[in-house]
Amino acid sequence: MAIRGIEFSRLSLMDALDLAILVEEEAQERYEDFAAQMEQHRTPEAAKFFRYMAANEAKHGLHLAARRAERFGDVPRAVTRTQLFDIEAPDFDAARAFMSPRKAMEAALASELKAHAFFQSALNAVKDPGVRALFEELRDEEVGHQGLVQAELAKLPRDKGPSDEHFVDEPTAQ
Amino acid sequence: MSANATCTYQAKDYRSDLKPIWCPGCGDYSVVQGIYRALAAIGRPPHEVAFISGIGCSSRISGYTTAYGFNTVHGRSLPIAQGIKLSNPDLLVLAAGGDGDGFSIGGGHIAHAVRRNMNLTYIVMDNQVYGLTKGQLSPTSQKGRKTVTSPYGSLEEPVNPLLYILAYGAGFVAQACPSDLAGMSAIFEEALRYPGFAFVNVQSPCVTFGEEAQQMKGLKAITETLDSLGHDPSNRIAAMDLAQHYGRKLHLGVFYRNPEPPPTYDDLVRERQAELAKGALPKERILDLFIKQ
Repeated sequence: MAIRGIEFSRLSLMDALDLAILVEEEAQERYEDFAAQMEQHRTPEAAKFFRYMAANEAKHGLHLAARRAERFGDVPRAVTRTQLFDIEAPDFDAARAFMSPRKAMEAALASELKAHAFFQSALNAVKDPGVRALFEELRDEEVGHQGLVQAELAKLPRDKGPSDEHFVDEPTAQ
Repeated sequence: MSANATCTYQAKDYRSDLKPIWCPGCGDYSVVQGIYRALAAIGRPPHEVAFISGIGCSSRISGYTTAYGFNTVHGRSLPIAQGIKLSNPDLLVLAAGGDGDGFSIGGGHIAHAVRRNMNLTYIVMDNQVYGLTKGQLSPTSQKGRKTVTSPYGSLEEPVNPLLYILAYGAGFVAQACPSDLAGMSAIFEEALRYPGFAFVNVQSPCVTFGEEAQQMKGLKAITETLDSLGHDPSNRIAAMDLAQHYGRKLHLGVFYRNPEPPPTYDDLVRERQAELAKGALPKERILDLFIKQ
């Protein structure tokens, strides 16, 4: 995960809300991308799960955007997507050919843990009380999301079939 | 100049109906998204863009856009892209491919493309392996790497694409990573806007035949943005110094942007054509050249 040119100690509430919206937007895009990859590679169950995650990220983004609009109207954004990457989005190489629903959920769980670590780390520097309250709320939400994914994971049987590694062809000499 | 300057384009306008079939998790998915976004930001209609690629996994990319595309011959994307730019200078020309295509099979073309300085952008998706043919040693594979063509470990030092292209005198050299889609799109846009030969190396690990250390987790541990280092992209020497860290550090951003770009080859050709046209015979007297007076 990375943040460019943002000093958390001087972050305003409006910028913090915008940052949170962009974090959700990035995650939504990555999940949509993963879902398309899975659909193309005939892995419908993982695709369905990634679509579900994308919809959730979109919902959170809309919720934050509504709060931002209510508080700050249409004041232009001061932070941009180029200032952050890989905060709540799963790593782009977390997708794998023929990944099982369990593997897909594990990828989502890893990204929830990553997001939690991001907000926790940012809180060490945040000074504005409004931003602190927002980041604490977002950090705690990540704990809730982790719990949801873990509960779903517990319902799934252990992977019995071949793992994605079995689908990789043996390397060959040219 | 755009034929339809009032039209605005969105990333989806550059996406073809052909669905990418790279391995899931491949960084090339992000690269093509980044290209769609950069083209939309520039706003040139798809029919004013030519996208030329070589051969390899990453070279499939030209087919995934609505621009004019040519999936050419192994290592020959640059000569063909230059020919296209020269014959139709109004086109926005991109060339792309992998590290094997660009630095091994097509390696001889780079020096000439750089020194000729045509107004085109060259994007290399550098995964340090020949992925399409199932994992052979490539020109950017790390020394010691074991592959089917180097079962006891490679004895060769890898090519350093950044230093190589900076040394030839390219006016724009940058590096990006697929995990930073927005940053990568911004770099592509800047490269496309640069008036001259622009090169972007994208570290796009091979999820199928790549080494563990070259996967995103390994790369993250060595990633640093050039902005955070306070690098001045107009300083070519500083850029070359940073480029030496290729393989040990993953520096993201613009290494070098010539603050005073020289005229491009295509500009010079047009100037020359205009000069020669002054002394040229009128069309109706062309046959005089072949008829003895």
